[in-house]
Amino acid sequence: MSGVTIATRAAGAQDTAARIETLAARVLTWGTRIALGFVLVGVVGMLLAGVDTIRSAQPPYSLAAIPGQLVALTPEGFLWAGLTLLVALPLGRVVVAGAGFLAAGDRRLVLVAALVLLVIGVSIVAALRLEA
Amino acid sequence: MIAGLVLLAGGAAAGVFGSLLGLGGGILIVPLLTLGFGLPLREAVAVSLVSVIVTSSASAGVYLQRHVANLRLGMVLELFSASGALVGGLVAFLLSEQMLAGLFAGLLIWVAVSMVCRSESAPALAAPAPAADVPEPASPAFIDTLSGPGYRAHSLPLGMAGSLFAGLVSALLGVGGGIIKVPTMHLLMGVPLKVATATSNMMIGITATSSAVIYLLRGQLDPFVAGPTALGVFAGAMIGTRVAHRIDVRVLRWLFVVVLAYTAFQMGQKALGL
Repeated sequence: MSGVTIATRAAGAQDTAARIETLAARVLTWGTRIALGFVLVGVVGMLLAGVDTIRSAQPPYSLAAIPGQLVALTPEGFLWAGLTLLVALPLGRVVVAGAGFLAAGDRRLVLVAALVLLVIGVSIVAALRLEA
Repeated sequence: MIAGLVLLAGGAAAGVFGSLLGLGGGILIVPLLTLGFGLPLREAVAVSLVSVIVTSSASAGVYLQRHVANLRLGMVLELFSASGALVGGLVAFLLSEQMLAGLFAGLLIWVAVSMVCRSESAPALAAPAPAADVPEPASPAFIDTLSGPGYRAHSLPLGMAGSLFAGLVSALLGVGGGIIKVPTMHLLMGVPLKVATATSNMMIGITATSSAVIYLLRGQLDPFVAGPTALGVFAGAMIGTRVAHRIDVRVLRWLFVVVLAYTAFQMGQKALGL
């Protein structure tokens, strides 16, 4: 393969990556703002309710219960919503990047994105199995 | 209420130190929660991982927007750091608190020593191998698509191995693992320091998520502790970026080395059951 071909291919890949980077940046920036907004409301509610941060019993985590807790305006609802969103943010970045590479026809990076999500999926399954 | 405010302040201090010294807040949050608040080490690690995700997402958003981070290289390497974190997240539940404390003390000493070495040999770190001196990679097309403007990455297998190890350490001890990822990319793969730091910041999010999910679903994450700490770390990181140009980082680095050495001593005592 000639040096010119490699350089052209690399330049094309960098242009595609630059567009996808902008998209991924928006997901991370706005996601962090929204998630920390939830956490802030939860912390203020927690302080106003006089929750003892260290000695209070830890509320159980249930993804399905979060909408109900939010409607009931409980501090733990806002905290769990914000923390769940925070933990999910890097995954959102991988999904957006993977979709971008799919649109650009870069199969290798699509495969990499899929494998990263697969590893996280295995983490979730392993955690649930161990918990059970 | 007071404990919540102290957590906010402690998180902010960790965020300021972290952003000024290029480290995640985890290296300070775990000792703060275990030694300061008496939290079990695993719970402290879970809270620390959430804080690491906050700083990673916030800074990676900026680095990606400015095209400083290398998304393609980062995605390939984070596959390996995520795999390491998966293993570490599972192994962490098999190790005793004392063993984890001992490992953390070892990590603190390593970070302190590497910070001393960095301050004495900064020029060597700032000079990656020029692209022309790099041997031709076995698969030029793929490695070249992982490179960026003005540099060519090389030694991908070494980068993969380093990332795997960084993920393992991150999940076991609740740190971002940037202390391993940045030298791996910069010194072993020829990526410029600025790009390596930005890319490592982005990768840290996925590494931490791989294990944070495990801690979250296993009920090891306390939202009443994680909430104020995460907010504090975010605020501290914002303050750190704004005051960075007014502070003599060399003085701060030495102060930090002293804090690390003292914390390592405390953790060592915990590990030995003293």
